Amino acid sequence: MTRRFGDWALGALTGITMLAAIAMVFLYVPTDKAQGIVQRIFYFHVPAAIMTFVAFGLVALASAMFLWRGTRFWDRLAHSAAEVGMLFCTLVLVTGPIWARPIWGTWWTWDARLTTTLILWLIYAAYLMLREFAGNVDQAARYAAVLGIVGSVDIPIINRAVYWWRTIHPAVLITREGGSGLGDPRMQATLLVSFVAFAALLGWLLWVRNETARLQDEVERLHQQLIAEHIPG
Amino acid sequence: MANLSFLFAAYTAIWVLLFLYVANIARRNRALQREIDELREFLRRQSASGSPTNQPGS
Amino acid sequence: MLALLWKDLQIEFRTKETLASLLMLGLLTLLILSFAFDPMSELRAEAAPAVLWVAVIFAGVLGINRSFLTERENECLQGLLLCPVDRGSIYLAKVAGNVIFMVAAQAIVGPIFVFFFNLPLTWAVARLVPIVLLGLIGFAAVGTLFAAISVRTRAREIMLPLLLLPLVVPVLIGGVKASARVLAGKPLSDVDQWLNLLLGFDALFLVVGWLVFEYAVEE
Repeated sequence: MTRRFGDWALGALTGITMLAAIAMVFLYVPTDKAQGIVQRIFYFHVPAAIMTFVAFGLVALASAMFLWRGTRFWDRLAHSAAEVGMLFCTLVLVTGPIWARPIWGTWWTWDARLTTTLILWLIYAAYLMLREFAGNVDQAARYAAVLGIVGSVDIPIINRAVYWWRTIHPAVLITREGGSGLGDPRMQATLLVSFVAFAALLGWLLWVRNETARLQDEVERLHQQLIAEHIPG
Repeated sequence: MANLSFLFAAYTAIWVLLFLYVANIARRNRALQREIDELREFLRRQSASGSPTNQPGS
Repeated sequence: MLALLWKDLQIEFRTKETLASLLMLGLLTLLILSFAFDPMSELRAEAAPAVLWVAVIFAGVLGINRSFLTERENECLQGLLLCPVDRGSIYLAKVAGNVIFMVAAQAIVGPIFVFFFNLPLTWAVARLVPIVLLGLIGFAAVGTLFAAISVRTRAREIMLPLLLLPLVVPVLIGGVKASARVLAGKPLSDVDQWLNLLLGFDALFLVVGWLVFEYAVEE
């Protein structure tokens, strides 16, 4: 069964790459001179952020394909990507402030990227709630797809708007050090490995979550069959 | 080294959240699979017993 | 499309439900926010743009919700969908209707806002008009689309704000920033960045809404 194989193969891949990433973050990479040991959060925070946006891109793509083609496959993918994406988004929003607190002395900064991520989180949450509260499965799929598309078109605009909002206004900080301070090749290597690990994680989580969606569809189908066979005439 | 607690907190948070989510998925999948098995069994028994409410050849 | 718009306007003239809701909600929000900011302090003037836009958005969310709720109760939309009318046109007509209602409400709330905040009646205040107009269009573009969706869900009342508010952040940011500068006496050319943001938002989401509205109302 390819599905069982997929579970284990992707899971193992994730496990191995994650282990490598952790090893590099804690044993290999040198400590950042400016920020000290806390900077190591960066190596998980950034890939998580990238995967959040990859997941959302997937939601957008799957939503568009679903509206176009109408097959269950795309809707399941969109739903899975949204749930997994929200998890990654939560990780970013949790590690961000934990990193910010010792460095800049404040839990939250209205930094452009962090703020956009927060809004993205709210859109993810709205997406999942919409699916929850829509009338029936078909409606849920369609409405969610609309939100997926509108949301993805909006995110770049939101990002621009928040960025302008921050830079024209005197602020605690303008931009967060992204990858700009990574002179040391060991740091770059660690980030790369971590990125691969998170990509594997995304793949694995999507795979198992998609299985959930597939099982839900199957249950639904069986229920329909049950009803069909027991209503006379 | 005081910042070590923040580093620890961040990584712990990551693992806790990941673990909780994966456990949640596993639980859901198991429950759904159980439900599917039950439904299939029920349908099988229905068609095997040839109950009067069944449509023939369904 | 104009016929549809005219129909919506006619309904409104008779019942005045949406307009009344928007008006009252706008005034009430304005009032409550005025109390939240100490009337004696200097902060008043600085808080003005924020208060204006919070009032606009709050009233807008609830007002647009209202207009679709009535539709649903009277099953007007079902009837409309039976006609061989292009869904996109229905959407544009609805957006136009909502914009007109919101502008009408703002035409009354706006002067009261100026009055409460003791804003000098210079050109600065007049410059607010295009900014608010652009903001309302963008807001209505996204709001109409999602109001059609949320009215069909189980959690009708909260679904629309939940969906809408994160999505209209650019309107809020653009609107408040531009309003603040203009109230500080700057000319419109100074805020062209924000105006472009609003304009772009409006154009983009009118097009997107026009394209996907049919998926929002399919039965």
